[in-house]
Amino acid sequence: MALVSIRRTVWSTGGTAVAVRRVVGKLGSLLLTLFLASLLVFFSRFLVPGDPVSFLLKGRKPSPEAVADITAEFGLNLPPWQQYFNWIIGVLHGDFGRSLQFRQDVSTVIGDRLPVTFGLVIMAGIMIAVIGLISGVAASLNRNRFWDKAILTGLTVFGAIPSFVGSIVLIAVFAVQLHWFPSFGSGEGFFDTIYHLVLPSLALTIVFVVLVGKVTRSSMVEQLDREHVEVATSRGLSRGSVVRRHVFRNAIGPILTVSGPLVAGLLVASSIVEAAFGIAGIGSLLVQSVDRLDFPVVQAVVLLVVTTFVAVNAIIDILEPWIDPRSAAGAGAR
Amino acid sequence: MNLLEITELTLDLPNGVRLLDGISLTVAAGETVGLVGESGSGKSLTARSVLGLLPERSTAGGKVLLDGTDVITTSPSELLALRRHSASMVFQDPRAGINPMRTIGDHLTETLRLCEHLPADQAKERAIEMMASVRLPRPEAHLRQYPHEFSGGMLQRVMIAGALSSSPKLLICDEPTTALDVTTQAEIISVLTEQRKSRGMGMLFITHDLNLAASLCDRVYVMSAGRVVEQGSAREVFSDPQADYTKKLVAATPTILVGDAEAAVPAELVPLAPAEPEDASGALVVRSLSKSYAIRGKTPVRAVSEVSLEIPRGGALGIVGESGSGKSTLARLIVGLESADAGEIVIAGKERTAPPRKRQERLAHARSVQMVFQDPYLSLDPRITAGKSIEDALRLHSKLTSTASRAKVIELLDQVGLTEKHADARPRKLSGGQRQRVAIARALAIEPDLLVMDEATSALDVSVQAQVLEVVADIRRERGLTVLFITHDLAVVRRVCEETVVMKQGEIVEHGKTLELLTQPRHDYTRHLIESVPRPAWDLDEAIEEAS
Repeated sequence: MALVSIRRTVWSTGGTAVAVRRVVGKLGSLLLTLFLASLLVFFSRFLVPGDPVSFLLKGRKPSPEAVADITAEFGLNLPPWQQYFNWIIGVLHGDFGRSLQFRQDVSTVIGDRLPVTFGLVIMAGIMIAVIGLISGVAASLNRNRFWDKAILTGLTVFGAIPSFVGSIVLIAVFAVQLHWFPSFGSGEGFFDTIYHLVLPSLALTIVFVVLVGKVTRSSMVEQLDREHVEVATSRGLSRGSVVRRHVFRNAIGPILTVSGPLVAGLLVASSIVEAAFGIAGIGSLLVQSVDRLDFPVVQAVVLLVVTTFVAVNAIIDILEPWIDPRSAAGAGAR
Repeated sequence: MNLLEITELTLDLPNGVRLLDGISLTVAAGETVGLVGESGSGKSLTARSVLGLLPERSTAGGKVLLDGTDVITTSPSELLALRRHSASMVFQDPRAGINPMRTIGDHLTETLRLCEHLPADQAKERAIEMMASVRLPRPEAHLRQYPHEFSGGMLQRVMIAGALSSSPKLLICDEPTTALDVTTQAEIISVLTEQRKSRGMGMLFITHDLNLAASLCDRVYVMSAGRVVEQGSAREVFSDPQADYTKKLVAATPTILVGDAEAAVPAELVPLAPAEPEDASGALVVRSLSKSYAIRGKTPVRAVSEVSLEIPRGGALGIVGESGSGKSTLARLIVGLESADAGEIVIAGKERTAPPRKRQERLAHARSVQMVFQDPYLSLDPRITAGKSIEDALRLHSKLTSTASRAKVIELLDQVGLTEKHADARPRKLSGGQRQRVAIARALAIEPDLLVMDEATSALDVSVQAQVLEVVADIRRERGLTVLFITHDLAVVRRVCEETVVMKQGEIVEHGKTLELLTQPRHDYTRHLIESVPRPAWDLDEAIEEAS
């Protein structure tokens, strides 16, 4: 399916000032969301049972002086709001503190693992988009006929498979039986990494493709019944042109809106898949760090996930006037 | 050979329902043929079959010869060719019929570029020519505009330009003016006839409006329940109908023409003694009511400005205006759904200007005025039976026992011409007219001082509309109900109201006795409205004959 050209003239009619105000407003609410999220992320530590200091001491019976030393080293003796203040100032400078388990800067720990996870999420995202869109479009065009039902049933069955089960099946079939793909690790260099990430991203795709597929189908079906589609048909446009220019083009909006939250889901679900495939990424780091009460790492990872999620949704919001020109003119134009 | 020849066309659904049952009709080049009938008569299906736009999984029989090719048996590629060169269609609602996410220029050029493979700049030139020919004001600028920036009338011109861009031999118009105001309708019709003449096209014109068909068509076919019940020249069919169905239809169609016999007002329409102007005991008194809406970044819109009117107890006042005239806002203000900026509303002697806030105020306001909305498909809860929705209104406002309220429901249904069995039906099982009667019964349940009907019959077929209007007239006779009747249709006002006000851009431009207003309009706008109402061509002939 060729990508649909989206016109750039939208805002020229709505007025550039309106457009700028829109984007600024969106960025403002984005910053507010991030601020609230940082509060939640930071202070949730105080709600969790367990004391990070006792982890650092690995069960030894320390002298009170040693406890005081460590508490002071990590700034745990300060009042909570001051700890937050120090933390957020650091975060704004790219300093997320020190990992308790690795005795390294959190940014280094995360920096090492980030590319793999991003690679995994991006590959899975592309697969989900391609397979989801194709199956959704195919289902909608065969509405209530055999292929529609077959695709819907298939998507639902796949969506019901937990990712760790999917991972194990993929490893058993494609790595152990067929030897097509490696079963472990993330590889070296660009192409080897992609090769290593095929099965893990497929494992993610299996779970999440149902969402995109079903939304695509219902959004397309809704558009297929519109009168402007009948008008386009009556004018002698080929079926392909009608579907591409009038049905799919108009169906994009809802598909994108649903795909936003998907990114967060992928980041979170990657932890399971990373564990199953032995990949040292953000997801497995998160699980490990929660387990060991390594709160600077947990906070940084959660903040990262929240930021990605909020940013993706903000981008989709800002894109909306290009996708649906009526939204630039306000709700009254609908 | 005729341009279009339909013989014995049938259309069946797999579940055995026969939608079309042996339709035969012809359209010659240069001829305008009308297809009239009420909703569900199959006229739209017949028109769509000409372009091969049939419902999914239906089976068609018979022949549809368009320009010598049988649409039903032809190959898909020839069908595309027919749609591209032989016939094109103008649909009812341009707002729904033009893709809202693409520019006007895109709508007009896409067939030129994708079907005729014109280069972009030539296609653009053609689009500009087409827009000029349907008299759109700024063709160059329109190319980059989006449908939501256009009014309904302008969009319908775009639709016509789009349909004409393929230079068709046959133009099919499916209720092209039903969604438009009467003055806009007149403009669109003149564009259509002008184009038909200059291009020598045949035109198949589908409408439910007999007056429009009579004013426009050379020949007409009257359809009912998937069959052609009558055909002939427009004049024969409408002035001397043969089939019972046509007779019924003609009788039910309201007209603004005032015959000599009617110049004397029928007794039942004579208003009860009008109240003294100073006396506030009229059922509804509105004094200098104003309401504007602020739109961010634009000057506020004055929806209603300085409107004053009065209805005596038992009277019926019509408010006529086109879309955007503020008539619905006025209704919402009176019913208490909006708050006025200035002015005063008095209903049955009680001040009702401010919208109610507390529960008691709401109940009191509701008891004094009730509204019947335009679309009965939307104003009744689909999950609640008709009887229950009336009963709910009753029990909210009175302390009737369930048996007593049940009896009252049956009585109310009886008053609007329905029976006990309708009480247990959900809205889905009722026809449009039955639903609107339930809505009226519900509004009357608590015996309001004033009944506001906002376009309450415009979604209904003429024969159903006639029944509903009859119900309203009966109730007025029996109960002395006061009615404020809001409509865009001058002919309907004439059937219901003694007095009429004409609104334009939030202001009352003329106020008077309905018949006087129709026969001797004083304001230019009223005259323009009346002239825009389509009337049979032969009425004009007679008028000319009489004058000579």
